[in-house]
Amino acid sequence: MSPDMTRDEVMAKVREHLAAELEVDAAEIDEGTRFRDDLDADSLDLYELVMELEDTYGIKVSEEEAARIETVGQAVDFVLQHVPSA
Amino acid sequence: MSPEVGAPTVAVDAFGADGGFEVIAAGARAAASDGLGVRVFGPPGELSDLGRGIELRPATDSISNDDEPVRAVRSRPDASIVLAARDVAEGRSQALVSAGSTGAAMTAALFALRRLHGVHRPALAVQLPVPSRDRPVLFLDAGANTEARPRHLVQFAYLGAAFAAAVLGIERPRVALLTVGEEQGKGTPLVVEAHDALARAEGIDFAGNVEGRDLPAGAADVIVADGFTGNVALKTMEGTASAFGAAVRDAATSGPRAALGGLLLRPALAGLRARLDPDTTGGAILLGLRGVAVVAHGSSGPNGIANAIRLAARSVRERAIERTAELLERSGATRASLRDADEPNGTGRRDPNA
Repeated sequence: MSPDMTRDEVMAKVREHLAAELEVDAAEIDEGTRFRDDLDADSLDLYELVMELEDTYGIKVSEEEAARIETVGQAVDFVLQHVPSA
Repeated sequence: MSPEVGAPTVAVDAFGADGGFEVIAAGARAAASDGLGVRVFGPPGELSDLGRGIELRPATDSISNDDEPVRAVRSRPDASIVLAARDVAEGRSQALVSAGSTGAAMTAALFALRRLHGVHRPALAVQLPVPSRDRPVLFLDAGANTEARPRHLVQFAYLGAAFAAAVLGIERPRVALLTVGEEQGKGTPLVVEAHDALARAEGIDFAGNVEGRDLPAGAADVIVADGFTGNVALKTMEGTASAFGAAVRDAATSGPRAALGGLLLRPALAGLRARLDPDTTGGAILLGLRGVAVVAHGSSGPNGIANAIRLAARSVRERAIERTAELLERSGATRASLRDADEPNGTGRRDPNA
């Protein structure tokens, strides 16, 4: 994990993306927020988030891995576990 | 000729046309002769003689109908359709055209260009030539989304209306829902709820329901369906037209008198045929993205490819994307505003004049 990146920073990035793309209040998004049940996000929304994270953090998320991400916290975990070391 | 100053540049995927690379090259040449910029993404060995005003961008990998679109687009960054879509996203071109796999073209365009802010789902819109009127009917969704919710259909109505106004020049397009009866309340819960929401919608001229038989009759300027219904309806019409045309040809050659009648009718029928030829309209357009993407029919000839490029360029010139975004915002038809549109008693829609 990059020493410069904190969990809060990744969380802020995910929250910013979801708030802008799904047009929801950023304050309503926390680590336990479920994409489908709480944000009414569909598979297309999840792909867009995944691609945003791939572009931002230089990670690669497989189809299978993407399908297993159900909450905001899981997305943050994935980034922190896979981001290349600085 | 060289592209005109300020003319849109269109990125063209050279793979996937039934007629091969020569069809793409000929179509690109015809469009470039209008002064449009064209960047063709394909194999240099097959496209060596494109002509002036056309830039060849090397691409040797292609995504076919046999590939799973999402997986292929994400895992093959050097595929022609992916490169062409990225060319638009990065601003070197202003619009995308492909006659290859529809799924790959839609996916590449969606991932590279992204949805317009506030759009749930993009929709594939086709221009249906209508014998009885001088302008086509815009029909969507022709298959981008096999499952839809009421709010998706509501947005499709706005997407179609904005495109019809911007590109087809219809000042206040009349928009209808495709279902099984004209009366309100006819159809699936999806259609009934969408009807209720559209009946209260602002900024759009909702004409109510139409039936399948009304499609080729041109009963409205824009006709909306979910992608499953839309694709079945479209393919049914194409198949019926093809079978009917073959039957007419058989009848016209069934004997000396019929042949004489066919000969007399030939000039009139030739004009009608040209008007109804799918190549004339250029292709389907993916609405709801932040860029222009046109999917030409795989069986397009050079004229069809050229017209697809022209349609893409016209969409850029007429600011179709910007005007769509403006209509959605002005009418309160963005995602946030429609969040409760699935509820029959509330759409959350604002007064567009407020």
